[in-house]
Amino acid sequence: MPHLVLDPHLVLDKVSIHYDGQAEPAVERVSIDVAKGDFVVLVGRSGCGKTSLLNVAAGLVAPARGTASIDGKPITAPGSDRAVVFQNDALFPWLTARENVAFALRLRGVRPAERAQRADELLALVKLTDAGDKRIWELSGGMRQRVGLARALAAEPEFLLLDEPLGALDALTRERMQTTLLDLWTASEVGVLMVTHGIEEALVLATRIVVLAPGPGRVVRTFEPGFSRRYASGEAIRTIKADPIFSEARADLTDAIFEGEAA
Amino acid sequence: MTVTSYTERPGHKIDEADGLSVPWSRPSPKRKGVSARAVSAVTILVVLALWALSARLQLVSPVFLPSPAAVWNKFITVARDGFVDATLLQHAVASLWRIFAALVAAILIGVPVGLAIGISTIGRGIFDPLLEFLRPIPPLAYLPLVIIWFGIGEPSKILVIAIAMLAPVALSTASGVRGVSQERINAARSLGATQRQVVRHVILPSALPSILTGLRIALGAGWSTLVAAELVAATRGLGFMIQSAAQFLVTDVVVMGILVIAAIAFVLEFTIRRIERVLVPWAGRE
Repeated sequence: MPHLVLDPHLVLDKVSIHYDGQAEPAVERVSIDVAKGDFVVLVGRSGCGKTSLLNVAAGLVAPARGTASIDGKPITAPGSDRAVVFQNDALFPWLTARENVAFALRLRGVRPAERAQRADELLALVKLTDAGDKRIWELSGGMRQRVGLARALAAEPEFLLLDEPLGALDALTRERMQTTLLDLWTASEVGVLMVTHGIEEALVLATRIVVLAPGPGRVVRTFEPGFSRRYASGEAIRTIKADPIFSEARADLTDAIFEGEAA
Repeated sequence: MTVTSYTERPGHKIDEADGLSVPWSRPSPKRKGVSARAVSAVTILVVLALWALSARLQLVSPVFLPSPAAVWNKFITVARDGFVDATLLQHAVASLWRIFAALVAAILIGVPVGLAIGISTIGRGIFDPLLEFLRPIPPLAYLPLVIIWFGIGEPSKILVIAIAMLAPVALSTASGVRGVSQERINAARSLGATQRQVVRHVILPSALPSILTGLRIALGAGWSTLVAAELVAATRGLGFMIQSAAQFLVTDVVVMGILVIAAIAFVLEFTIRRIERVLVPWAGRE
């Protein structure tokens, strides 16, 4: 059996994105391959089209040229094999935290008792064991994002698409959520495609960082930092961040992002 | 306590005045004791007192302005003995039945129409001009046509009220639907929701606060149409009672009827607000 068939892949192949009424394409000929178990992070200055690319993978935006596919099947619409978590949690305030998490199961007609049990397991996984009955507006920003992650995982996706999921959080909550993300990624074995503005965040989380430059959006560098693998094999996140090589990587990544920008 | 510092710059000290005692940023001391509700209560009492005083001093003939006591006595007698062949309760029930039947009809038609306007371009193309045509026409103008078409029975009365309620229900629903955040819809779709499930599980609940506001506006429109609807061939109803009384210059019944309608409308408004708090506790808290 060839390796490719066993491993599901989320593939963007020479994707160009062109929005109506704009002379320049937003993204030109970008290829990204996310395998199951990968944690691919897109970084770049504003206007480089990273969110547009995520939306193509989600099936929310159709590429002008090129193809997006999952396991070889073309992506034409959103689907629960690629659950999306947005920056603003997009939770449903008329439901409790537990009901939010169980939403995908409810859509599939899973019986109430069963979906409540599954939702509670997922809430425990994101360390929100006692928050099941809480209403959304009673939760802090960090807790909401945890609910959003649990809700996405409930759909049992092969890939998680994260659109700046920690962007609206304060710095300390962000740090804590980074380890939560890594824990979820190792526990669930999904492939992750994430967009972020955080340079340190990209280094901590990614197995691969794709650096994009604007005008039109294109890939300029690719990094394979490997710090998340070190975390997965038991090293503490603070030790990793204190490692001199981490500072070096941060400097290189920052250079790559701002390369070619008029000073 | 130890302080770790990485930069020793003795020449630079944070100015104590920085960020301190800015006069315009100081929170103003809270004014004590006066609530809007108390002011409202006093206003009502003053109006009642002025009314009682002008009646007592006979500034106006009782035919034009009966005293509060006379109106209250009329309330008791009409409640017990009735007026134009029905007790006050029977009049009120007749009116309430028309209002509620019309409200149910307006919801059954208005909410789907509002959804269609908010969701689909074709729906908006079909229903928007129809509603905009219907909305500004006063009920008294289309009442004769409704009677020609549907006769003078109960259905005509309900229909006239329902027409007045339709636009507020449909337009509020549409505006609620248009206000649904695209991220919420995208999130639901990426969790595997079909178009139908998005409408049922995301758009309708998101629009619910707006729909309930529409119902409140519709009830107001309904009461103002009620009197017109009961102009024709009614034998019961608060509007009918007021008109009959007016024809015989029984002003105390007229005033009493007005106050009863005001009281019922107030109770309904209050009830809907309570329903809102139970049904959409998240409104305004997102």
